[in-house]
Amino acid sequence: MGSLAQILVNGILLGSMYGIAAIGLSLIFGTMRIIFLAQGTMIVLFAYLTYWSFEKAGIDPYLSLFTVVPLAFVMGLGLFYLLFRKAAALEDKNVSLLLAVGLMYLIDNLILKIWSATPRGLNLSYSGAVLVVGDIRVPWLRLALLGLALGSALVVYLFLKKTRVGTAVRAASEDMEATTIQGINSVWVCAVSFAIGIALAGVAGVGMATVYSFDYQFGFTFAIKALVALALGGMGNVFGALAGGLLLGIIENLAAYYIGIAWIEVASYGTFMLVLIFLPQGLFGRRALVKKV
Amino acid sequence: MKLLPDTSGLDKRKLTWTSLGALAVVFFATLPFYYDVHNGQFGVFFFNVFVYVIVAQGWNLISGYTGQISLGQNAFFGVGAYTMALLWFNDVTKTGYYFDPVLMILSGVTPFILAVLVGIPLLSRLRGDYFAFGTLGMGMIVTVLFINGGMFTGGAEGRMLVPKMPEGVVFNLRTHYWVAFLIAVLATLVVYFLTSSRVGLALKAIREDEVSAASHGINVLKYKVMAFAVGAFMAGVAGSIYGYYLLQVTPSNVLTSNWLFLPILMVVLGGTGTILGPWLGAFVIYLISWYGDSFFAGYHPIISGVVIILVMLFLPSGLMGLGQKVPGCGRGGRGSR
Repeated sequence: MGSLAQILVNGILLGSMYGIAAIGLSLIFGTMRIIFLAQGTMIVLFAYLTYWSFEKAGIDPYLSLFTVVPLAFVMGLGLFYLLFRKAAALEDKNVSLLLAVGLMYLIDNLILKIWSATPRGLNLSYSGAVLVVGDIRVPWLRLALLGLALGSALVVYLFLKKTRVGTAVRAASEDMEATTIQGINSVWVCAVSFAIGIALAGVAGVGMATVYSFDYQFGFTFAIKALVALALGGMGNVFGALAGGLLLGIIENLAAYYIGIAWIEVASYGTFMLVLIFLPQGLFGRRALVKKV
Repeated sequence: MKLLPDTSGLDKRKLTWTSLGALAVVFFATLPFYYDVHNGQFGVFFFNVFVYVIVAQGWNLISGYTGQISLGQNAFFGVGAYTMALLWFNDVTKTGYYFDPVLMILSGVTPFILAVLVGIPLLSRLRGDYFAFGTLGMGMIVTVLFINGGMFTGGAEGRMLVPKMPEGVVFNLRTHYWVAFLIAVLATLVVYFLTSSRVGLALKAIREDEVSAASHGINVLKYKVMAFAVGAFMAGVAGSIYGYYLLQVTPSNVLTSNWLFLPILMVVLGGTGTILGPWLGAFVIYLISWYGDSFFAGYHPIISGVVIILVMLFLPSGLMGLGQKVPGCGRGGRGSR
């Protein structure tokens, strides 16, 4: 029993990374209707920035949240206005898709040039600290990751519910045309949700840097994992996306334990396909959103 | 009393394009007679372009004409290459094997079946973006399955075909060049005749407005699955040709995301939903990556990334869209989500 509980806990902790990324994807997809495949690459980029600021300036990764996340937000705004603004308005979604792919190629290979192909990871003084409850062992850093995920989900949720821009973002995800007719600046709404999506990539990047080792190729797989988490959780629901991430983490850990490490990916993509076919609205999504897409 | 045939009924533009196309076909088909394609670098160059054109035409059919964005072409390409490699390696069909037509057709049939099996559940229940997600997932599963295939697929090492070459057969790129060119032309003709027939009308109707197409009595699912499967067939045949070129089929060379994104980029750069767009796009993109590779070795993926972004920013409707409105070259209309 102890091992099963340990697997579940590990799964949840792994899944919190997917959860953060999925919330970002869901915001971007909700308003702009594009599959932002470069999300994983952005996460890896911010993980490298966190790594860099630790190695060069000795800044604790959790302190660098305060530099990386605002930087990510500004970068998101910049990327949106530079690249996606016109493309998001087009009917043809191939353009935005390819823009994301181009960005992915570009950043992946810039990372490769700057930091080389060696996998990197942070070695913090408190990396080894472990919380022991019964026979379950939980590294504090991974627990902090879950906290980070819950915290960012809460912040995004409050932003969407309590602020005017947030309300506009929610309205735009429901019906972009009607939103524009209401006099809402749709470009700004897209820009804000895109920037928040990238800022969440910043949070996930810091989280990744503290726990996992990463290299330049990690981005694409990670973006697809986030997409799987999003499909599991369902569109249009912040906590749904987070829950989807946690669930995906659990599925992967169960698969690793019961089937074998090599089959993790088959299990997660298989779940993805099954969910898309039999439960396209996801576990916590709203049916209406799927029909319109 | 007429000395010249009456040409007034002919579409001038169509005539120009057809004659230009015919000239190009003659040029490329006869090129090996006055240019050494085996040793000269343009042989490899054109061979790669043709292979990309085949995959791109397949994607053009399902996504350009039918409007269902497929992100699984690399899976079909890889499955095609593996079908050829595994049948050859295990000596299943007892036929000639090196550029064996039986094998090449079979390596189109396997992805075709896969596309039908995957396409029916995905296309009957999902629209638009969700179909793209589903095909992306399928591509990832296929890749992982081939990596984990153990003794059957050779795992990450893949299958080495060089020792299996029949005796007395010399590896000459001239064969590759011609076969790839022939298949690329055939693929283009198939897409042309499909899309200029009633089928094409149905496909375009589905692209423009699925609900309206269904209410006009078009069996939407049937046509979508058909376009998806024919596109998969083309990708598979292209995979087998490329396998004959590499003579070693591994997950990292036939299932990479290059075989997914580059054909899409080529179609979009050339002009989505146009018959010559994939050709133009393939030449331009491959030229860029070719020279990028030789002049800025090591930096060329960065350059590809920049090129993709620049093309999408400044040429979102493609090279064919630069001219005027060619019949049948219209982009996806309003409300074609």
